[in-house]
Amino acid sequence: MIENILDLPLDAQPDADEFVRAAMEWHFSPETGSAYWLERAKTLPFDPRTDVKGFEDLALFPNIINELRDVRVEDLIPRGYGPNPDVVGVYESGGTTGAPKRVVVLRDWWERHIAWMSAGLDAAGFPRNVNWLAVLPSGPHIAGTLALHQARERGGIRFTIDLDPRWVKKLLAAGKGAEAERYADHLVEQAAFVLRTQDVGVLMTTPPLLKRMAGDDDLVDLINEKVQGIIWGGAHMDADTRDLYHTEVFPDVKIRGSYGSTMMLGGSNERLGADDPYISDPPAPYVTFRVVDPDTGRTVGYGERGQVVVNHVSKNMLLPNNLERDLATRVEPPAGQAGDSVADVAPVTHFESEAVIEGVY
Amino acid sequence: MTEPIFIDALGPRGPYRSRNRQTVTDVAGNPMVELTLVPELYVTRAMSAMHKAKTLPLEERLTALAKGGELFATGVVDGMSAADYQYMVSRMSGTPLPIVRRAAEGISRHAAEAYRSAQQARPIGAVNDWRDPRARHGTAAWVRRGDVFAVHAAGNHPGVHTLWMEALTLGYRVAVRPSRREPLTPYRLVSALRACGFGDDQIVMLPTDYAAADEILRQADLSMVYGGQDVIDKYAADPTVLPNGPGRSKILITADSDWRVYLDMIVASISHEGGTACVNTTAVFVEGDPTPVAEAIAERLSTIPSLSPEDDKAVLTAYSLDAAKTMESYLLEKAQGTKALLGGHGVVDELSDGSAVLRPAVHLVDSPFAEQVNIELAFPCVWVAPWTREAGTDIFHETLVLTAVTKDEHLLDELLEDPTIRNLYIGNHPTYWMAPGVPHDAFLGEFLMRTKAVIRD
Repeated sequence: MIENILDLPLDAQPDADEFVRAAMEWHFSPETGSAYWLERAKTLPFDPRTDVKGFEDLALFPNIINELRDVRVEDLIPRGYGPNPDVVGVYESGGTTGAPKRVVVLRDWWERHIAWMSAGLDAAGFPRNVNWLAVLPSGPHIAGTLALHQARERGGIRFTIDLDPRWVKKLLAAGKGAEAERYADHLVEQAAFVLRTQDVGVLMTTPPLLKRMAGDDDLVDLINEKVQGIIWGGAHMDADTRDLYHTEVFPDVKIRGSYGSTMMLGGSNERLGADDPYISDPPAPYVTFRVVDPDTGRTVGYGERGQVVVNHVSKNMLLPNNLERDLATRVEPPAGQAGDSVADVAPVTHFESEAVIEGVY
Repeated sequence: MTEPIFIDALGPRGPYRSRNRQTVTDVAGNPMVELTLVPELYVTRAMSAMHKAKTLPLEERLTALAKGGELFATGVVDGMSAADYQYMVSRMSGTPLPIVRRAAEGISRHAAEAYRSAQQARPIGAVNDWRDPRARHGTAAWVRRGDVFAVHAAGNHPGVHTLWMEALTLGYRVAVRPSRREPLTPYRLVSALRACGFGDDQIVMLPTDYAAADEILRQADLSMVYGGQDVIDKYAADPTVLPNGPGRSKILITADSDWRVYLDMIVASISHEGGTACVNTTAVFVEGDPTPVAEAIAERLSTIPSLSPEDDKAVLTAYSLDAAKTMESYLLEKAQGTKALLGGHGVVDELSDGSAVLRPAVHLVDSPFAEQVNIELAFPCVWVAPWTREAGTDIFHETLVLTAVTKDEHLLDELLEDPTIRNLYIGNHPTYWMAPGVPHDAFLGEFLMRTKAVIRD
């Protein structure tokens, strides 16, 4: 009985409080919880099974995200999955701030998530039975797997060009911008081979690579001719850039952003008919957002900007209070949905140094 | 509430206004204009269109430049009169109004003469056209190294917008990224040039934030950037980027010359143009006792009044109070161990509107090797140092303009031969002296052009 509410399809939207209580039972019962959470619970100043009475009480949890840099992945799998859990894969965070964080994705969550995202694509008018080209990392991030399973779910073949964003970040950090440029050109060149010779209906890539493709007029023509839908993710896109794509570069192509991350174990769906600002609705109560003032941790008002806190609550994983390095405008969620929706997601900015630079310029 | 003044990007398909904008304020912090900041994608697309554009034929572009310069300096551009423009620039950048006026006239004059000026860089062995009779016997032709030239402009002085017009005369399409501190001058100049004949895809103005700025350079064939030492270092290894960095201009007076005769020139070199130009003198070296020279400079500079930038008699550049205080504390820290003759207790003078000027500073250092002699700050700030023959000329390395007051021809030979001293003025010529047809930091044409052999029947 307890497990039923955790097994609903993602668009079922169970009562968030009841759902969270069921998840606490699952993750903190010795029979079903993961080794990690059962051990971690001993140092919590509260008992999740009795003290977490609803969705809002998720805020009681500390942000344990950094512990995922070291935990054995086996210890993250709830015992309730039995001795042979159906593991889709192990995925890692970006790895920009030290050692990467790691999660295990299990089949039941993943299939429901894929189905939910796919329904979102249907609603947005994305074609089925077309091939996909994913210019995304195949691993260790989640994006490549997402593209593969989405394409499959929707009746297409996935073509892929692999990339290593961590190496690009290292190049940039070392001031080797020109080398990073050459790598990006290399990726676009490979993507162009697929686009020229194959039937590609959906292109999935990152904003920096999409921008690079948009700088090549021949490639723009090719995409406009063949591709019916573009999905971008893994980085940010500002409203002006989105507008240029919609009005000028790819005017007849459906373009959809997906605010998601490996640490969400998936992503959100772009709200239809809300083009400006662009709003992301997560699959609550499984993935929920809270937009907070980074200084006080308090939720900001609707329309105000703050930093995004993400909760992931499923049978697969409990990952509460993860403070992402993203800023967003807090938006009212769809009716009856827990948490916030977000708009205009952008990276947390660091202000330019106020130090005096000698010279007159 | 009046409608704010928008400064849109001037893109290859006309003006473009983004959602992402920056409010540019006057020196007192009052909002003046709403500046569009284009996203990187816009830059990419605009530069791609620039590459596909045609170059305006020579006669047409010279006419457009001359007319455009005139319109810029005297006419109504995008609804704004010349007087309003000058007032706004002085309030926005803090540059004294008389300097803005002179700079606007200078831009206009330079627009008309840019072709002649650019041609001074053409090797004597090269012609401009294969139709030249010299091609029948074989000659060199002077040709562009690319088609699209980008400029990361500075906002310290409107005069930074004179140089790139030479690239236009040579047939480059030009993309200007304005300074976010003073975008009005390039906006007005590009608008005027377009109104007088240049196509939207032949000259563009692309204001960007820091992140998108590099895209302009990446997509241009050749570029010129202005900045501090960090910018110079960043592009040092990039053969497609010409950096304009700190000037660290200097004056040397040897014992065979009476410094009193040159005092006007010295003082003017320090304070002319509000002290914010790379050609303003940063250090004065005196063979013999530098103290009386420093005292005389201090006395003269102390009489400069503190006035709002829009005042007809303003001399000093105004800054926001915060920026002025930051610069002041930097000066006070760096000046430790030197003898202050002016400004030793601070240089910030707050104006009635809440902005501030930085009053002149004169410091004596005890050695020509003191680290201070290369500290260039954007106000009249000078370091006076002793100099001896033993100290030699290595200390003048990396100097934009060196004025040498000396009768020692051997010394002048040595200074002329040093390739890191970019310009050498001999005798009573201020470091800020410039003229069309005379290089500022080598001819721009040396960077923009190359030669190729041509022979014809």
